[in-house]
Amino acid sequence: MKKVLRHLIIYVLLILLALFMMGPFLWLLSVSLMPGRNVFANPPAILPTFIAFDNYVQVWEFMDFPRYIINTVVITLLGVVFNIFLSCLTAYPLATFRFKGRNLVFTLLISTMIIPSATAMIVHYLTIQAFHLGNTFLGVVLPAAVSVFNIFLMRQTFLGIPTDIRDSGKMDGASEFRIFVQLVMPLVKPGVAVIGLLEVMAFWNNFLWPIVVLDDPQKYPLAAALTYLNGQFSYNFGWIAAGTMISVLPIIIVFLFTQKYYMEGIAGAIKG
Amino acid sequence: MYKAIRSESFAAWAFMAPGLLFLAVFTFWPIIYGIPLSLTDYSVITETHFVGLDNFTRAFQDHNFLISLWNSLVYVLVVPVIQIISILMAILVNSRIPGVKMFRAAYYIPVVTSMVAVALIWSWLLGNNGVVNYLLLKVGILSEQISWLSTSSTALYVLMFITMWKGLGYYMMLYLAGLQGIPADLYEAARVDGAGPLRLIIHVTLPLLRPHILFCTVISVMGAVRVFDEVYILTKGGPGTSTLTSSVYIFQKGLEQFNFGYASALGLIVSVMVAALSVLVFRLNRRGGVNTY
Repeated sequence: MKKVLRHLIIYVLLILLALFMMGPFLWLLSVSLMPGRNVFANPPAILPTFIAFDNYVQVWEFMDFPRYIINTVVITLLGVVFNIFLSCLTAYPLATFRFKGRNLVFTLLISTMIIPSATAMIVHYLTIQAFHLGNTFLGVVLPAAVSVFNIFLMRQTFLGIPTDIRDSGKMDGASEFRIFVQLVMPLVKPGVAVIGLLEVMAFWNNFLWPIVVLDDPQKYPLAAALTYLNGQFSYNFGWIAAGTMISVLPIIIVFLFTQKYYMEGIAGAIKG
Repeated sequence: MYKAIRSESFAAWAFMAPGLLFLAVFTFWPIIYGIPLSLTDYSVITETHFVGLDNFTRAFQDHNFLISLWNSLVYVLVVPVIQIISILMAILVNSRIPGVKMFRAAYYIPVVTSMVAVALIWSWLLGNNGVVNYLLLKVGILSEQISWLSTSSTALYVLMFITMWKGLGYYMMLYLAGLQGIPADLYEAARVDGAGPLRLIIHVTLPLLRPHILFCTVISVMGAVRVFDEVYILTKGGPGTSTLTSSVYIFQKGLEQFNFGYASALGLIVSVMVAALSVLVFRLNRRGGVNTY
């Protein structure tokens, strides 16, 4: 009996908290499904009186969503590939090789986490201009092509690989690179999945840096295009709500399908 | 043997070269280059001069910069609130009851969505005729509508609230990982000694979460000082200067007005302050025996 009461209290708290955390999204969904007049009702309409998909159809016709989605996908893919490739290559020797300067590299990497660089964006801007990469997707991606955080996460993963594997590869006369690609990488797929997911989220949601680098709004990714839509049509709630839903849904779906890895990865990030 | 180590060393650097090259250009270079840049009046438009420490003396007389520093400092007050609520959330979602994983995922969704979307949603909810005003009027907490984001006395706190709301799930997961690392027999032993739920939290949970609390505090302090997206999207620092945080001000000076030299100096000042703040947090937690990576 006491246990039932305890469970009841926990469920009530969990549901209240869920309303607090999810309520705004559910309301957004509801606004996006309201027909025009409903949106401007006073008192504010919380639930639609009848459901209509007009907003989605109209905003899809008005804004070139396929283009923004392709832009976002290209930027995200580039970012994820760069990050996986570069952080695996950099983390692997840090975890398994013995060489001079290993501690130096490691300390240097840690120090970048302690020293925050508020000026970084300004210097990035100058660097990208100097490389003539302004207004290109590469310019959007390169400053975040590798992160110290991902290197640490991958190093952690490589540390879990038994040393015998590398030794046995050497016995067979394989080169270091071949050992890495054919023997080691297949064993760290879960780690790769985690940094891949983290970067999918980061690049998908990025809006500020793309706006800074890209002069042409036609090249904007979704999140940036959304600010543009909001600036142009601040009076049309329904459209912006539908546009926001379109931009948010893919990432929520990706998250829901991969949350197990994702959450383990987040948790693993602070293990000693 | 000597040769083996040499070849291993060569291979190591060959592996790391591409990554280190990128880090050199996009992580180390901004830290280094920001310093000489801050000593000039570099601005694309006019010729560049060496101006010595002028930017720094100017910064400390720049009324708006000082206000932005103060606002950033106020913003850090969100940190303890985040820790308390997310620890309580973590304890709640650590219960072993059916369906709890679904709730964990639900609380995490604000974390994975873009700040643009989150900011848009809250700006409507908090608008003059928005749902928040409507509900508060209905319950009788408010007697008249408040336009939360365009009133200078409330705007900064509303932004802090949005930052907190979006981040809670992230910190909850970090604390949950910590809670799951606490051996169950510690709780058993304390219960046998007659400790109630509250004493279990204070005497068992919190001390053992210490490394996690330190980690979360440091990253959320840095996050609060760097806060940019929500402020930039929702208020651009206004009304007046009431929500002007240091990152927004640096961005305005640098990438909107193209005063790269001055903005670099401001960035440097803020960076030093953040570094000092994180050292302080570490010092306060020295007993914690923390192992950062």
